[in-house]
Amino acid sequence: MMTSHPLSRPDFIQVDHFSFHYGEKQAIFDIDMNIPEHQVTALIGPSGCGKSTLLRNLNRMNDLIDGVRHEGDIRIGGISLYDPSVEVISLRKRVGMVFQKYNPFAKSIYENVIFSLRVAGRSKKSELDATVEWALKSAALWDEVKDRLHDSAFGLSGGQQQRLCIARAIANQPEILLMDEPCAALDPLATLKIEELILELKHQFTIVIVTHNMEQATRCSDRTAFLYMGKLVEFGHTMQIFENPKHAETEGYISGRFS
Amino acid sequence: MPDHLKSPDPKRFEVSRATLWFDRFMGGAIRFGGISVIIAVFGIFYFIGKEVVPLFKDAAVEKSGSVATSTQPAVLGVDEWGEMPFFYAGGEQVVFADLATGAKVEKALPGLAGLKVSALAYDAVHGRVALGLEDGRVGSFLVSYQRTFTPDGKSQVVPSLTEEPWFTLTHGAGPVTAVNYGDSGAGRVIVAKRGAGDGSSVSILRLGMKRSLVGKGKLSLLEEVDVSTQLAAEAVIVRASPNGAMVLVGCENGEVDYFIADSNGISKRQGFKPFDGVAPRQMDFLFGGVSLIMTAADGQQEQWSLFRNDEAGERLFGQTKAFSNLGEGPVIFTASQRNRTFLTGAGRDLSLRHSTSGSTRWEGTLDIDPAIAVLDAKGEHFIVAAADGEARRYEIHDPHPDAGLRAFFGKVWYEGGSKPIFQWQSTGGTDDFEPKLSLTPLIFGSLKGTAYALLFSVPIALLAAIFSAAFLPLEIKRVVKPVMEIMSSLPSVVLGFLAGLWLAPILEMRVPSVIAMIVLIPTSALLVGYSWCRLPITIRNRFENGREWLVVLPFLMLAGWIGWQLGPLLEQWFFVYTEPASGRRIADFRLWWPQVTGTSFEQRNSMVLGFMMGFAVIPVIFTIAEDAISNVPKSLTAAASALGANRWQVVWTVMLPVASAGIFSALMIGFGRAVGETMIMVMATGNTPVTEWNVFNGMRTLSANIAVELPEAPVGSTHYRTLFLGAVVLFAMTFVMNTLAEILRHRLRERNKIV
Repeated sequence: MMTSHPLSRPDFIQVDHFSFHYGEKQAIFDIDMNIPEHQVTALIGPSGCGKSTLLRNLNRMNDLIDGVRHEGDIRIGGISLYDPSVEVISLRKRVGMVFQKYNPFAKSIYENVIFSLRVAGRSKKSELDATVEWALKSAALWDEVKDRLHDSAFGLSGGQQQRLCIARAIANQPEILLMDEPCAALDPLATLKIEELILELKHQFTIVIVTHNMEQATRCSDRTAFLYMGKLVEFGHTMQIFENPKHAETEGYISGRFS
Repeated sequence: MPDHLKSPDPKRFEVSRATLWFDRFMGGAIRFGGISVIIAVFGIFYFIGKEVVPLFKDAAVEKSGSVATSTQPAVLGVDEWGEMPFFYAGGEQVVFADLATGAKVEKALPGLAGLKVSALAYDAVHGRVALGLEDGRVGSFLVSYQRTFTPDGKSQVVPSLTEEPWFTLTHGAGPVTAVNYGDSGAGRVIVAKRGAGDGSSVSILRLGMKRSLVGKGKLSLLEEVDVSTQLAAEAVIVRASPNGAMVLVGCENGEVDYFIADSNGISKRQGFKPFDGVAPRQMDFLFGGVSLIMTAADGQQEQWSLFRNDEAGERLFGQTKAFSNLGEGPVIFTASQRNRTFLTGAGRDLSLRHSTSGSTRWEGTLDIDPAIAVLDAKGEHFIVAAADGEARRYEIHDPHPDAGLRAFFGKVWYEGGSKPIFQWQSTGGTDDFEPKLSLTPLIFGSLKGTAYALLFSVPIALLAAIFSAAFLPLEIKRVVKPVMEIMSSLPSVVLGFLAGLWLAPILEMRVPSVIAMIVLIPTSALLVGYSWCRLPITIRNRFENGREWLVVLPFLMLAGWIGWQLGPLLEQWFFVYTEPASGRRIADFRLWWPQVTGTSFEQRNSMVLGFMMGFAVIPVIFTIAEDAISNVPKSLTAAASALGANRWQVVWTVMLPVASAGIFSALMIGFGRAVGETMIMVMATGNTPVTEWNVFNGMRTLSANIAVELPEAPVGSTHYRTLFLGAVVLFAMTFVMNTLAEILRHRLRERNKIV
């Protein structure tokens, strides 16, 4: 499980003493961690511990909320997300995101997948077709939908819709894929498929996943970070965190004594 | 365990009586409220229907009395109450028959003793019987009625006769074979035909009152002109108009010759041929004296009226209408003295026709062969008499002869007009004025008012809603929305007052400024936006998202100011009016516009209306559209943002499609507000029922029309009911629009629905 990509950078995403506030309420306290490239990093912790907030800061989605502010810095490949020369839109093209509840647009499967290309102004038919096929194959959805690409996305099952959202997120070939509890709204079989997919995708993308499911974290992540009350309690190899946690809170959480 | 839980109360599962009663009471109250609303709505429909339906009813005619005399009537007349017809056959006696009692009174004409009457004509307007004698004299007597009361309080109609002077024809020879009399009060005209066949002649006599110091003055002959040589052929029918200004002679070859008789003398004005050369058998003036109804031997009936074919031309007769064929048989004709209705027929089949709308109000078959008929002055009865002196009275119930689908929605050829038109002109100055009740200009006005209001407010309201929902920071939005909602609660009478008395006079002087501003403000916004995008990201990042308007605002204000100041200059450059007479050049848009376009420029115009209606319509559209866009799920906008869409792309590709149904509702509610808006329309549009899209004149809308005219319309009159019909049309318009919109909205929602 602890395979690492030959060319991966161990400090691809640097979270550097990062704190975050929603208005008066501070959600993240001075988190400092390096997320390696081409690996799956799981963020676990009880509800409200700040794991989703941290995830959503990696592509500055939290900027869309009024009255937020931050301290510290986050760097991807050495470049600060908050550098004045950073265009948020191109940042989001580098850092794709899959949400907790599958949220396809009210468009066809085809149009959903190529949404990021459309907004980037690309309209060459052959390129779009190739992208759709590649993205759907990568999301293990191609065989199920190849005959109805132009049907509404709402005709798919929940698990298929979530895989469509993954295909949509990777269609623009981002470097990083953020997943915010991608299986929370899915049944066990669909969950299994998504987990298999995550293991496939990590060869191409750096994946950061938020999950409440301990088994999921152990099954598909290389590293695990345990957050508690907005602070990073423990961060290390998944096996180490689950088999030999250093902190009492971590042990308490993974053994189900509090959630 | 506490004691009270050890032996549970057996009643703990029961529902308390108070709860049940309250539930029942509230259920009943809500049901009552709901049913009351439905009843109220149907009640309104019933009331409006009750007012409108009578407009579309035909006339009702029923027999209401009969009397038999032994007089073979050559002239039949009646008093204005339709109670006492008189019969006159040309002798010394006039027979009056009381229809109520059957009593007959004979009144003598002493002046006719020993004279032989050879021609007769009755002018119902003045109650005058014109007479022509075998010895070539012409004269007349008047029949008048007075209502008096007997000592026991019963009313009684008392007839009286007044003989008028005789005039001897100096031209022609033989007995008078046709005569007619016209009277304008001051001047009179008699037209008479003498003899028959080739030797016949037609003379026109002009009479005048010679004023004397004592008494009424004496009627005397001013001139007698023999017009035989000016006729196309032998005269068949002679007619003098009730006002004594025109004489018409129908000739055997089918031509009708029109003479004018005024203080300048008698001269022929026109010869025209109705029925393609078939001689008219009947020719009479309608009420008002400018239209002729003529019937040919084969039963064809046409109306010819006086009108000007072009601005400068003379008023000549031209055909304005054709009525349905009467069929063979002697023609009966009598015109109403109250409106453009006439009773006509051939044989036993009679019909009551209305000339303006060209409609047949009533048709029926009598049980006697009528030889002559007359309508009473109020148009409430007609009396027919057979050749044997048998007479019948019929009561007419026709309160709305001017009404009808054609009159309301079609083009109507009104008397005096040169072509059929749509016109609304419900009241006039004179008694013989004809109401023009076409709703078409009002429907047009409503559509025009709505179109200009929406043209101005829809783009602003929708763009504002998008901006507020998708771009503005929350704390500014929290101020903007309530302010817009307060704006929608401004009373429309205040807006109308401002529009009419404050805005209209300002805009009137500043049209070029307005044009410049309309061009400059959006252009500058686009330019600033474009330049902003060209700025380096490091500068753009200094402004928080949603605060960029701080950059645009000064430029917009500057553009507005420049536009305002530029107006007078533009006027000097482009909108220069040249006075046709002197060649003087004046820089004034108000004069320039009519000269260049040929349409009018009014102070209270569609532009003023558009601006002010904006204040009424923008908040409505804005509020609902803003809600619709704001309610687009965050998950979708977040997904689009995460995929690298910029704010505008998120709006365009995700938010607008999902919110389209709601935005559409907003537009429809804005449309409804604009169509139904009354006070602003009344006060800012000038209320002229024109049918042109010109932005610089006004309109009269259905709603404003109801507001303006309902207080003046007598209850139950055609006018009153027509205003209610306007309300029905208004309702139908909004109903149709809303139904279509609802269907469309439903489709939009289905297509963009989020599972």
